[in-house]
Amino acid sequence: MPRSLPRPRVGLLYNPTTPRVLAYANGLVEHLSVMPDRLWFDFGSEAPPGRRFHRVHDAIARVAEDLVGRSFAGHGLGLSLPSAIPLDEEMVAAGAAISRDLGGFAWHAEHLNLFIAPRGSVPNAQAGLGLPVIYDDEAFDLMAAKLRVVADAFACRILLENGSFFTPVPDLDYTEPEFLNRLLHAGLSGTLLDLHNLLVSARNGGMDPVAYLDALDLDGVEEVHLAGGDDHEGFYMDSHSTVTPDVVWELAYEYLPHCGNLKAITFEYQESYFDDLGLPTLAAELERIHALAEACGRPAEVARAG
Amino acid sequence: MLAEFQQALVDLTASPELCNLVRCGADDEVLPARYELTPRELRRLLAIVRHPGMAAACTVYRMNRLAPMALNVRGTIRALGPALGPLVNDYWRDYPRGHSHFYIESDRFCRWLRQRIAAGEPVAPEVPAILEREAAAVHAALEASCSDGLPYLEITAPAAS
Repeated sequence: MPRSLPRPRVGLLYNPTTPRVLAYANGLVEHLSVMPDRLWFDFGSEAPPGRRFHRVHDAIARVAEDLVGRSFAGHGLGLSLPSAIPLDEEMVAAGAAISRDLGGFAWHAEHLNLFIAPRGSVPNAQAGLGLPVIYDDEAFDLMAAKLRVVADAFACRILLENGSFFTPVPDLDYTEPEFLNRLLHAGLSGTLLDLHNLLVSARNGGMDPVAYLDALDLDGVEEVHLAGGDDHEGFYMDSHSTVTPDVVWELAYEYLPHCGNLKAITFEYQESYFDDLGLPTLAAELERIHALAEACGRPAEVARAG
Repeated sequence: MLAEFQQALVDLTASPELCNLVRCGADDEVLPARYELTPRELRRLLAIVRHPGMAAACTVYRMNRLAPMALNVRGTIRALGPALGPLVNDYWRDYPRGHSHFYIESDRFCRWLRQRIAAGEPVAPEVPAILEREAAAVHAALEASCSDGLPYLEITAPAAS
């Protein structure tokens, strides 16, 4: 389906170095993706009721300043929705409160990754390790119940982001795009399509990105993430350490003009690589995303020909 | 059971030793002895463990779990030198679930390491002094992170599992 205007906005995943990017290239950033988990200290389940989440007031004030004049959405790290454990409703409430206090997320995204099991967890760093999910009816029912609660709490659309994996899971009932489509068609969530995660998973033995994107209902894609990674001992990592690689740009130009409900294209970089990347490189990357967004704002046939 | 499958997957990712045991040891017996798995779940786990990417997953797990200490007690980590690997393995066995509050995780590690040293753990002679200096800074940062003004230890006392 050809897109209609307006074109998607160009965004950044907010981190502590973002204010420096905004000072350098303010007009290039139209959208910010905010991680509530980075705006509080979570003292954990052993804290007494009502005392678990301690806000980082200075950081929240700074984010609020930077959101002025921009669209913004939430990006959660800690809920681990696919886990076969009860929903962390205290964290949902804390995230929803951050959303309300910032003026209301346009949408809120969570990861389609496993971070927590009943007796253990994998550390959920910003560019960290999420484990693969079993895509079957049991997982669907589990996710559906949790998504309804999260959507009610945040009072906005919920998106799920495809993860990056080192180890594909064999013999699944649904592929990941089929699972995302099923959630979409049930009215439970839209898709945050991380194109770099597709590359990471494919380089590490997962599904071919073209087959993945051909199977995905592109009308469900409401936000896209772009990022770069690096090789480590023969494996490709989603380290958010570099600019978007060429193969991801090719996928973006091929498929994003067909995403009829795409609202934002967001670049992710890890703040520990800020000095390596440098402001001119980050600004050039944002300009490049603007060109992509313009291409998405035209009918798909025109964009492809261009 | 899905919960058991997920627990096994997390435990395997956290433990290269368990991966090796499954790969080379009693083969299909190791996981069923520890987890209640359907035959299909067991087949999936065996395929994951035998996939070459499992080594990368285990490495990233360790990098991420070490991140709070690398940020907050860097001098202690450096001073421990080759003793670090075996020590963090023991620490992670005692605390299988990392804490998302990096100062709590670092404070917990400092307390644990202090106990180990007091119990006779051999470390380089400079480690105790560096540990005490960095542990004090971590504790101060942890107190400062209590934005409702109450001392950390009145909010929650860390306890070994």
